[in-house]
Amino acid sequence: MNDPHNVIGKVSRSLGRSAPPATVPDPPALQEPLIRLVLSDIGLPALFEKRAKENKIGVTPLRVESLHEELIGYLKARRVKSIALPNSKFLNRLEIPRVLREAGFIVSIWDQMTLDQLYDVDASVTDVWRVVAETGSLVLRASPEHGRALSLVPQIHVAIVEPKNCVGDLIDLFELTTREGSSSATVIISGPSKTADIEMNLVTGVHGPGVVQVFLLK
Amino acid sequence: MLQQLVQSTIDRKVAEFHAHELPKFNFDKVSVDSSRNERLKRAIDNAVVRNDKGRQLKMLELPDSDRIRTLAGDIKQHTLDYLDYYLIQFTANVEKRGGQVHFASDGEHAKQIILDIVSSASVKRIIKSKSMVSEEIELAHVMEAAGLDVVETDLGEFIVQIDHDKPSHIVTPIIHKDKESIAKLFSEYFGTPYNDDPEALTAQARVYLRDKFRKADLGMTGGNFLVAETGDVVTVENEGNARQSMTTPRVLISLVGIEKLVPRMLDLSVMLKLLARSATGQTMTIYSSVFGGTRSAGETDGPEAAHVVLIDNGRTEILASEEYRETLRCIRCGACLNACPIYRKIGGHSYGSVYPGPIGALITPLMQGLEQYKDLPNASSLCGACYEACPVKINIPKHLINLRRDVVKREINHPVERLIYRAYAWAMGRPWRYRLASWGQKTTLRLIGHKGFVRRLPFPGGGWTQVRDMPEPAKKTFRQLWQNKK
Repeated sequence: MNDPHNVIGKVSRSLGRSAPPATVPDPPALQEPLIRLVLSDIGLPALFEKRAKENKIGVTPLRVESLHEELIGYLKARRVKSIALPNSKFLNRLEIPRVLREAGFIVSIWDQMTLDQLYDVDASVTDVWRVVAETGSLVLRASPEHGRALSLVPQIHVAIVEPKNCVGDLIDLFELTTREGSSSATVIISGPSKTADIEMNLVTGVHGPGVVQVFLLK
Repeated sequence: MLQQLVQSTIDRKVAEFHAHELPKFNFDKVSVDSSRNERLKRAIDNAVVRNDKGRQLKMLELPDSDRIRTLAGDIKQHTLDYLDYYLIQFTANVEKRGGQVHFASDGEHAKQIILDIVSSASVKRIIKSKSMVSEEIELAHVMEAAGLDVVETDLGEFIVQIDHDKPSHIVTPIIHKDKESIAKLFSEYFGTPYNDDPEALTAQARVYLRDKFRKADLGMTGGNFLVAETGDVVTVENEGNARQSMTTPRVLISLVGIEKLVPRMLDLSVMLKLLARSATGQTMTIYSSVFGGTRSAGETDGPEAAHVVLIDNGRTEILASEEYRETLRCIRCGACLNACPIYRKIGGHSYGSVYPGPIGALITPLMQGLEQYKDLPNASSLCGACYEACPVKINIPKHLINLRRDVVKREINHPVERLIYRAYAWAMGRPWRYRLASWGQKTTLRLIGHKGFVRRLPFPGGGWTQVRDMPEPAKKTFRQLWQNKK
């Protein structure tokens, strides 16, 4: 009990009790009107597009028929040679791996490559778990098919987003996370990696991708 | 054996380090020195004032910025009031997900725990992302001294590390440095030609650090929040280096203060909306990462071993005081620094503490001892700008006044100050004493005055007339005038 290293015991004593309580009152209620900034589910993709652009994320809305052509054009314009992809049902259904290979890119799939190899890859093309309209953010979750490093290590990150991926507000996102349980790692991405450490000069592309581009399907 | 060797090196280096510590806060010295430093003032105007304006604008987006700050403060306060319960819940949830929680009573204990993990996992290369707690216990320095290859990966902290400097702001650590001095430093460190373009400097650090990320086997992060109901650690950053720490290396250590808990995942919707707005005037920081335990089955990146080290280091002392407990709500956004007219004049290094600004003037004496930092509570004009800026509504001015009260109560203020107040109390005790004192004061000042002004006050008032003259008192005191009128 009086072990100096027993921190929880010390916390209890500091709070005036001899042992931690078995139950506690509910934490303060989260009054939604105070927190919620996006009130409607209508027009979420358009709001996401606007906010993401404010975050310096490129957004190209398009029909699925023109996705292949636009994607290849985008990557070629940036002199991308090698691309990493998650093993994603969605991307496979859109035939992204096949089309990119046929266009001459070196394509690696996450569960068939090593993390070390990823450091030499130019770009990643991923799906998303959700996007948040309020903040213009992409939300990605780690899984065996979709590694944490995919949206972090290559200098260009391209995400393909469907309208049904859109949630309105951060509350909606965390309600969903609470319902579905945490993954080992979830990241909310709100722009290209940046720093303003040197005299407040904004420099993009520090340790994460310097370019984040979204193809937003209609 | 190795452990002992490591330990003895650390002890020696730590002793050396403390011998060269920054001088403790000395109000007279810093207020005069720093107010003459033009470059520092320009840098602060550029960064701090801009972030403060950004905060004010961004807070306007919220439906009721005052009440959401109350809510955020209430959530943190509730967590503190039941901290033992939430610590147990958090620990259980981390363990369920394959991670380990270690409790450290102080800095020495935390360092021991971390070095044990390092040696038992045979770690060679360590990448460290920014964390205030590791600054608090001088972790990187100790690891370096132990011969470990440890590199700070936040650009600002990396510059601090290779320059053997100290950060001067919680969020923007190198606002005291200009690009010329960074360029000079890089040119010496990397042996490359001088180039002071911020983009080129960043690119140079990026290339160097990317190789470190690739080869690292231990990643260290702090934690902006810990979620009790899930066992998640939450980090918030713009560069991507904290993400690297929890992605590439096989071992992960998150070193976090025990007060960083929130009960629910949903609380993050409140906290994240306030944190970036308050800190830098952003809607969201670029990367908000929520991660817990080890990598899941089948995953090929993320840590195989995940440790959370929860450190007390004086926090339970604050918790025990119902009066000061709310100071532990702090989410380290730095808004109070940016808003503070004193911080803007004297900069972060003047506080002689890892935590500068109003919140530093408050928690440094509370965590490290009031005797050592008894001048810090005076580093405030009590204007209340910090309270207005605080996203969790810590009443900083009130607590600073209370600390000043404690200084007086414990009689650790200057003996001359005590003597003056005693004399003052004596003089105010009876009308005749007051008359005597004011007559004495008037007569003396008129005697030493010249052409209507006193140029130099005698001890102990000398400091007051150092930079200005004092008008001579009138011939008649107010009481005399009043008498005549009747």
